[in-house]
Amino acid sequence: MAERKRTHPALARRGTVALRHLALVLVSAAMLVPFYWVIKTSITDENIFAYPPHLLPTDPNLFSYVDVWYLIPFPRFLWNSVVVSAIAIAGNLVLNALAGYALTRNFPGQRWASLLLLSCMMIPFQATVIPAYLITAKLGLLNSYLGLALPLLSTIICIFVFKASFEAVPRSLIEAARIDGLGDLRILWRVLLPLSRAAVATNVILAFTWSWNNFLWPLIITRTVSMQTLPLGLARFLSYMENTTSALYAFVVMVLAPGIVVFLMAQKDFIRGLTSGAAKG
Amino acid sequence: MRRWRQVLGSRFVVVPAALAAIVLAWNIYVTLNAHGIVAGEVVNAAGRPVAGATVTLYRLNFITEVQAGQTRTDARGRFRFTDNHSHLIELQAVEGKRTSPRVTVRLWFRAQDRALGKPLRIAGSGAPA
Repeated sequence: MAERKRTHPALARRGTVALRHLALVLVSAAMLVPFYWVIKTSITDENIFAYPPHLLPTDPNLFSYVDVWYLIPFPRFLWNSVVVSAIAIAGNLVLNALAGYALTRNFPGQRWASLLLLSCMMIPFQATVIPAYLITAKLGLLNSYLGLALPLLSTIICIFVFKASFEAVPRSLIEAARIDGLGDLRILWRVLLPLSRAAVATNVILAFTWSWNNFLWPLIITRTVSMQTLPLGLARFLSYMENTTSALYAFVVMVLAPGIVVFLMAQKDFIRGLTSGAAKG
Repeated sequence: MRRWRQVLGSRFVVVPAALAAIVLAWNIYVTLNAHGIVAGEVVNAAGRPVAGATVTLYRLNFITEVQAGQTRTDARGRFRFTDNHSHLIELQAVEGKRTSPRVTVRLWFRAQDRALGKPLRIAGSGAPA
């Protein structure tokens, strides 16, 4: 009897864990179903409005992907998105690391500078799009790769990710590097950045995702089809290919795939980067 | 050396390198198999080859189709196009007033060499009156 009593808590705990896992599986399934449906439709020629819908793909093939590749300038859109994302990532890493390091140093008005940056986060991009456009036009960067990447070259949230990561490095280490004769830039490059892999990964993923999905800014500053990025291509595709669900979904998968690959590669560091920033408060 | 091995072995290098290798291999395959050759056979309802039938190749878009070439079958009912530049085509054979159904041929890349598995069948031709 006593033995049975002893096993009860263990059984209850196991039951709780099973229930928790069941709930997680259900939530995951609910989140993954739309992805599954998009992929399933992209590899079949069935109409999305077909009734009854088929749960499993019938006669699967990849020809819709071939259609998308050839019937619109997909390689060009892809190249544009890759170039713009690469510029945005490079700009984010350099400028945000420098800004984040500056915010960890003591200087007059440091607190006000941080507050100013934080308050700027509350202004939506749509509100500043006209000044941004005018500045880009003055710089002569309309319809160019650099112009497309310009608003994303530095993002405030990523500056604070770097700041939190740099603040987690012991001051004694930085002081020791300074005694060894290293300047600020070399301290940043040789000491802080190698210890901030998670922050770097977070910057890479966020810069890539924001740049890759950006729609409004490229829509405003591109003048030719040859400079358009994938989200604009998707809108263009949707506007005159409305009856080709499988090709449309194939296009969606092709737009999403690079972002998913980058995220899966860096997700561990990405989560660590975000949570270390959170823990720092 | 150890550091380089660590860098080269990281997933940030391995995954893009694997993708680049796949793309390279695919492009080599495409280069070796993209001569624009589409070959097939035209038969009548009885399955006998039809000589002298006209076969038309249409280039398809999502919303348009353009006639891209025409050829005639030889004595064994065989035809061959050598200048297809599309990845999505339709073929139709005509002999006199009889025609075959249009057959859509989807290719993996532009100008892919392709021999049709099934012949174009001209309905009614050769069948007893």
